[in-house]
Amino acid sequence: MSTDESQDIDSATTAVQQPDNKTRRYDRQLRLWAASGQNALESARILVLSASATSNAVLKNLVLPGIGHFTLLDPATVSAADAGNNFFLAGPASVGKPRAAEAVPLLRELNESVQGDAVIKHVDDLLADDDGRAYIRGFSLVIAHNLPTSSLDSLSRLLWEDIGDPPLIVVRSAGFLADFFIQFHEQCISQPHTDETPPSLRITRPFPALLEWARELDLDNMDPTDHGHIPFVVILVRIVDDWRREHGGALPATSTEKQAFKAAVRALRRKPDEENFDEAEAQAWRVWAEPAVPSDIAALFTLPPLSGADAPLSETTPNTAFHALLRALAAFVRSERGPGALPLSGALPDMRTDTTSYVRLQTIYKDRARVEKALFGALLAEECPDVAPHVDPEELDTFVKNAHHVRVLRGRRWGAWAADRAAVASSLEMVPRETATHLALNALSTLLNEGPDGSKVSAEALTEEVQKVVGEGVALPSETEDAIGELARAPTAELPNTAAFVGGLVAQEAIKMITRQYVPVDGYCVVDLVDSWTGLVGR
Amino acid sequence: MAAAAVLDGTPAVVDWPDRYHHVDQILDKPGPRTDPSFLAGNEVKDFLRNKCKILVIGAGGLGCEILANLALSGFKDIHVIDMDTIDISNLNRQFLFRPKDVGKPKAIVAAEFIMKRVPGVIVSPYYGKIQDKDDDYYMQFNLVICGLDSVEARRWINATLVNLVDPENPESLKPLIDGGTEGFKGQARVILPTVSSCYECSLDMLNKPTAFPICTIANTPRLPEHCIEWASVLEWPRVFGDKKLDTDDPEHISWLYTTASARAKEFKIEGVTWSLTQGVVKNIIPAIASTNAIIAASCCNEAFKIATSSAAYLNNYFMLIGVDGVYSYTFEHEKRDDCPVCGGEALDISISKEWTVDRLIEMLIEKQDIQIKKPSLSTTTKQIYFQAPPQLEELTRPNLEKKVSELIEDGDHITVTASTLPFNLTLRIKYV
Repeated sequence: MSTDESQDIDSATTAVQQPDNKTRRYDRQLRLWAASGQNALESARILVLSASATSNAVLKNLVLPGIGHFTLLDPATVSAADAGNNFFLAGPASVGKPRAAEAVPLLRELNESVQGDAVIKHVDDLLADDDGRAYIRGFSLVIAHNLPTSSLDSLSRLLWEDIGDPPLIVVRSAGFLADFFIQFHEQCISQPHTDETPPSLRITRPFPALLEWARELDLDNMDPTDHGHIPFVVILVRIVDDWRREHGGALPATSTEKQAFKAAVRALRRKPDEENFDEAEAQAWRVWAEPAVPSDIAALFTLPPLSGADAPLSETTPNTAFHALLRALAAFVRSERGPGALPLSGALPDMRTDTTSYVRLQTIYKDRARVEKALFGALLAEECPDVAPHVDPEELDTFVKNAHHVRVLRGRRWGAWAADRAAVASSLEMVPRETATHLALNALSTLLNEGPDGSKVSAEALTEEVQKVVGEGVALPSETEDAIGELARAPTAELPNTAAFVGGLVAQEAIKMITRQYVPVDGYCVVDLVDSWTGLVGR
Repeated sequence: MAAAAVLDGTPAVVDWPDRYHHVDQILDKPGPRTDPSFLAGNEVKDFLRNKCKILVIGAGGLGCEILANLALSGFKDIHVIDMDTIDISNLNRQFLFRPKDVGKPKAIVAAEFIMKRVPGVIVSPYYGKIQDKDDDYYMQFNLVICGLDSVEARRWINATLVNLVDPENPESLKPLIDGGTEGFKGQARVILPTVSSCYECSLDMLNKPTAFPICTIANTPRLPEHCIEWASVLEWPRVFGDKKLDTDDPEHISWLYTTASARAKEFKIEGVTWSLTQGVVKNIIPAIASTNAIIAASCCNEAFKIATSSAAYLNNYFMLIGVDGVYSYTFEHEKRDDCPVCGGEALDISISKEWTVDRLIEMLIEKQDIQIKKPSLSTTTKQIYFQAPPQLEELTRPNLEKKVSELIEDGDHITVTASTLPFNLTLRIKYV
C-alpha cells in the first residue's frame, strides 16, 4: 500500500493539465455529486408529460446539468396564453403549432450533449395498449404536471404494478399554490450528504494500531511540544483505556461520570494553551454517544427487500446490489473477525496537531479502513455469492465510507394517503395550512377533470369537494378558506414565478432520485407563494 | 453603447390577445389574503406593464433566471448591471448563455436574449460596476433585485438604498429583494430600507469564511487545503513579488497546483488536485440550476407582489434547505437598533484601557457583525488612523501603537469609515 501512496503523489505532480471542457462546464455541480452522480444523470431517460411552463421549467433544470435523454409528451398545440407564459416557446410565432415540438429544440439548445424528442400524443393513447405501457415503463423517471386526474390515476396505477417500475413525480399548480409528490417503490441512498451523523472514530473500540499508540504515550516525560501536539483522538483513546481499567471495563454513563471523564482530560493538560486538550474535551461526547451501530442503520438489517424476506437476491430485485451490501453490513457487525461495529470510514477530521502525527494517524486509519473493507468484501461474497461479482467496486467503496448514514426510503402510491380519513383528520390538526392546501388542490383537480376550463370551479364547489374527502362531520380549519380562495381566484393560472419555483424544486428532487445522492422528499410537498412557505403532508 | 441600441429598437410588438391569460387571473381579482389597497384590473396592469421600472443586479446564476421570470410576469422596463464576462463554468446553470458567448459581457448577452425571446420587453444592460452609478441612477427604479455572489456588493447597494430614503418623499424608498444560493440551499429576503431589517443588520448570519491559521499553513500542514494556501498566500508573493495572482488565469492555477503538490509530497499529504486548488483559491461555491431557479423565482414572486399588491409580500426572510427532503423556514429578521447602516444608534464597544489603536482595528476586522477590511478611524475633532491617502496614512501611522485610552475619553464616539463601504460606523467606546 505504500507504493499506492507514492504513486498518488507522483502522478499528482506530473504533467499539469487543465481539466477538459466537460469537467469545466460541470465544475460547480461536480463539486456536489461528483463523477458518480454525473454518470447517473447522463444515463437517465426522463419522460415529461405536457410541455407546460412548469414542465419546461423542470426540464430546463435537468437539461442544464446534463441528463441523458428526455421525451416531452404533449398532444396540445400552442395557445396565445402559452406563448405568453412559457419561456421555451418562440412567443407568438409558436402559436398553433404542436407545443412539445416547439419546446424541444429550445430546451435542447441549453446543452448540446442532451438528447430530446417530442411525442405529439395523449398519454391515454399510450396507456391504452401494451406497447404504449411498456414504452412508459422503459423510462428511468416520469414527471407529470397538471395531468387530468383520470389519466393520472391510470398512470400512477401502471407505475405501481411492478416493483421495478420507474418513479413518478406528480406536480400540480394553480396561481400561487402548488404541490408535488414522488411515487416510488424504494429509494436506496448511499450518499445522503446530510452531515448530522459524523462517522465513528472508534475511540471506544480502538483498533490495535490506535490502542498501541495511545498506550505507548509517555505523558509525564514527553517533550512539551510533542505533548501539545498529541492528536485529540489519541488522548481520548488513552483516557478511555485508563478509565475502563479503573471502572471494571465500563464507560462513563452518568452525568457525574461524564464530568469526571472531562476532568481527567483536563488533568493531563500541562499548559493552559494546549489546544489539543481543548479539542479532546470538546470531543469527549464521542466516548458516550457513539453507538457501535446507529439505530437507523440497525433497523435496515432487518428490512426485507421488496421482493420478499425469503426470496434470494437476484438481478430482478430492485436495488439488488444495495440490499446485498446491507446484508454484508449486518454480517460484518456480527462477525467475530470484525470490530463489532460498522466498518471504519477512513475519514479523519482536521485537528490540532503537527504534520507528522496527523499523517501517522491518517495512515493508520486508512490502513485499518482498507483491512475492514477487505473483510466486508469477503463477507459480501459469502452472504450473496450470486450478486457479489456484479457489485461495482466503486459502489462498494462508497457504501462502506457512508455506512453510518445510508438510507432506504419506501414510498406509497400517489393518492393513497388522502383516502386514509384518520390520517387526514389528524394531519388537519397537526399541520392545518399544509393539509388544507393539499386537499384544496385535490378538490381543484377533481373539478378541473369535469371542466378543464375552470368553469366548474368556485369556492363553494371546492369546499364541498374537500368536505367530501375528509368526511361530513370533520371541521375544516380556517386555513382551508385561504387556500380555496386562491384557487377559486386563479384555477387555471400557471404563473411564471410559480412555474419557475416548482420547476426548481421538482428538478432538485429528480436529481436526487436519479443520482441516489441527497434525500428526496417523503410525502406531499406543498407550496404557498402568497406567504412564501413550503411544507410537508402525508409522510 | 448597448443601451443606445436598445433605445433605438423601440418595441414593435404589441401585446397579443390572451398573452397574459395566466397572470391576469391574479390581477383581475383579489384573493382572501390580498390587501384592500389592491387595484384589481387595468390600473395595476398599466402600472406593471407601462410604468414600473425594475433594476436587476447580477446577470449570473440568479440574474438569468430573474430576468426571464420578470419578463414573463409582465415587467417591461428592466435594467441589468453585471461586471463579469461569461465563463465556461457558468453554462451548467446560466441558461441565457451558450458556448459561443464565452468571454462576452453577461449583462449584454442576457439582455439581448430576453428581448429576443420575450417580445416587447426592454432590457437595458450595463456592463460595469454598481459603484459606477450615482444616487440619481438608483432613484429612477421602483424596485431592485439582487442576485449577487459578493458580500461587499450587497453591502454597498444596501447602504446606498438606505441612504437614498428621504422621509419627505415616499418614492425614495426602493424595496430591495436579495437572493443567494449554495448547492441545494438558498435564501431570499425582502428589505424595505430604513423600515425593516437591512442586509447589514444580518451580517452576523453569514458563515465565517474558512480561514486557516498562518502558523498551520507555514509549519504544520495537515490537509491538502493547507498546502494550497501555502502556495497562494506565502509562496506566490515570495516568488513573484508584487505580481498579482489572477485566479482566473489557468497558468497561475497550474503553478499553484504544482507548488502545492510538491509541498504535499514533502509532507506526505494526499489529495491536492487541480479542482481543489481552484476551489480553495477562488473560494468556489457549488451552484446548480435548480436551486437558482427556486430562489430567483422567490425573489421575482416578491417583486411581482410588491409591484402589484396582488398578495402580501414576504416578511421578510425565506430560507430553503433541499439536502434532506425539502425544508424551508420563513421568518422575520429583526432590525438592529445599532445597525451602522439603518439603526442610527452608536455601537457600544467595550475594550481594555490597555488596547492600542492597532488592536482595536484588528478587532473591527474580525468582528462578525462589522467585517470592515481597511477601517479608517476618526473623531469629530481628530484623525486617529487613515488608510489613505498615503500622506495621511503616514501622518497617522504613529497612532497605531498608542493606547486608545490616550486618544479617546470613556463614552466618546469614534467614526469608522472604509473606502469599500458607503457608510460610517459610529462606535461608543467604553473601557473595562
